[in-house]
Amino acid sequence: MSTDVTAAPKARGEAPRRESVAAWLRRPRAPLSPPRWLAITSVVVGAAALVAVPLVNPSYINLTVTLVMIWTIVGLGLNLLVGFGGQVSLGHSAFFAIGAYAVAVGGEAGWGQGLSLLAAAVVPFVVGYVVGLPALRLHGLQLGLVTLALAMATPAAIRALEPLTHGSRGISIDGDPPSWMPLAHDQWVYYLALALAAVAYVITRRLAKGRLGRSFVAVRDAELVAETLGVNVWQTKTRLFATSAAYAGVAGGLYAMLLEFVGPENFNLALSISFVTLIVVGGLASVPGAVLGALFVQYVPTLTSDISAAATGATYGVVLILFAFFLPYGLVGLVRGSLGRLVARIPGRRT
Amino acid sequence: MLLQQLADGVATGAIYGALALAIVLVYRASRTLNFAQGELALLGAYVSWQLVAWGVPIWAAVIVSMAALAVLSVAAEKVLVRPLVKRHQALPLIIVTLGLMIAINALIGWAWTYQTKEVPPLFGSGTIDLLGVAVSRQDVGIVLTVLAVAIGLGILFEYTPLGLRMRAAISNPESAELSGISTGRTMSIGWAIAGGVGALAGTLIAPELFLHPGMMAPVLIYAFAAATLGGLDSPPGALVGGIVVGVVENLAGTYLPHGSDFKQVVALVIIVGVLLLRPQGIFGRREVVRV
Repeated sequence: MSTDVTAAPKARGEAPRRESVAAWLRRPRAPLSPPRWLAITSVVVGAAALVAVPLVNPSYINLTVTLVMIWTIVGLGLNLLVGFGGQVSLGHSAFFAIGAYAVAVGGEAGWGQGLSLLAAAVVPFVVGYVVGLPALRLHGLQLGLVTLALAMATPAAIRALEPLTHGSRGISIDGDPPSWMPLAHDQWVYYLALALAAVAYVITRRLAKGRLGRSFVAVRDAELVAETLGVNVWQTKTRLFATSAAYAGVAGGLYAMLLEFVGPENFNLALSISFVTLIVVGGLASVPGAVLGALFVQYVPTLTSDISAAATGATYGVVLILFAFFLPYGLVGLVRGSLGRLVARIPGRRT
Repeated sequence: MLLQQLADGVATGAIYGALALAIVLVYRASRTLNFAQGELALLGAYVSWQLVAWGVPIWAAVIVSMAALAVLSVAAEKVLVRPLVKRHQALPLIIVTLGLMIAINALIGWAWTYQTKEVPPLFGSGTIDLLGVAVSRQDVGIVLTVLAVAIGLGILFEYTPLGLRMRAAISNPESAELSGISTGRTMSIGWAIAGGVGALAGTLIAPELFLHPGMMAPVLIYAFAAATLGGLDSPPGALVGGIVVGVVENLAGTYLPHGSDFKQVVALVIIVGVLLLRPQGIFGRREVVRV
């Protein structure tokens, strides 16, 4: 893929000076702007395909696609924080874990699945708010440090809160659909995840494009200027952190329902690192990037684990470094760069 | 019992202090945290192990490993870190050192498998009786070695022309450049020393924790806690912070219910507490921003 992409600018002699491949890759790009008919068609076809997937596929495929949607939700929230907000979090596995345990503990207490999932959003939101309060005093590196320590402490904290979490034994969860629904467990959780991922995607798009998203970016790029222009920096940062934690919590709740079991070792540092990889690979500060990144973290490890147990870690590490240097706008930037001209030529645009 | 715990705490604390010292040296050189510092130390421990397995005496193995890691650290600094430091990009810097951490860890697992290996203690086995407390020879050796390294670095920084240049480059890079000091070179020297000290710390702790690819991650968090406590730009602070964190960790592990689990939360509590109450740490200088 990358070879034909890199060849494109050389073929056109428009630029007065030949741009190096690295500079071409690093250039920021506008979102693709397909004509309206194409946008609507692709959304409708895509939605229909996603709805049809669990009806025609065996359950293990539904499981991986559901996981992709779960990672997408985490990615959308984390990208709001890191990409748009410019605040680092290496500790979103903690909020993911809180959401998962909210569903597990809620299930044990006899709450319905709806109420449990609501708790999976609310509890991380509150915890995220409390964590976000000091976050406002910390600059980038310190916040990275705190959240890294948070990620490392999560499994131990889960084990230590034994009365609630049953420690290392974990908790089994009933993720079956309500009895009146003619769906199997994997189909039920798939549709739940699809619905929530769609809602999360639309909300994130609105947030990113609206007043709030612009105030996030303003705080990220020039905190002092944003403040003088009337953005409440303190509120923006804490709410951003809490919202991002709530996304991770909902995803964690779905994850618990999907696996029907939670234990402390599910939520280690490696999970947090895969979240960071997700948004870096997909593309920082881009909403569709979360989907591409989610596909990456779901399917690349299954490919690399055939090579060696260490290959996944090596791939993630190398990919993080390469993307930070050469593809700061992630796969989304690459797609926009390679398809931008093509899409702009499609007829049917209203002028 | 209490004295025994204190002695154990001081010994592990010295290791945390040594790794924290590496973190501080890198922070002073590049104003960034190297999340890969723990894995570089781990790599140092593996190099030592490999050399010993090939029949090299452990003392020589440590020295070779320290030199190798110093070179590798400088390479990492020049290729991966300096371009980003020059562009003042905080987020990509975090991503790159995080990527380095994962990659090194995976490559270690690839090269040396995930089975635990035994590194011989540098100072032999057996115990010494100190004030009625049985302390292992290795622990005494660790504390003395780290002390010697600290004193050596103290002399280097305070009393040599090189140390003077390094301090100048840190406290005022532009003026230092104008007076003919290569800040790039002092940066590299900072990373080189950090790499060497890290390799030493990794090799020293390996006999106690048993050498495996997951060994250094918890140690790194304690070292970060130690560096934060002591002040991120203060080498003596890192050592004092390391000892304090080591002692607190040991006491918490022994005397708190669920101690062995809460132990790992100790680092988080220390980091958050210090950053909230006294962000510059005990010995660090407050950063003043001029608007």
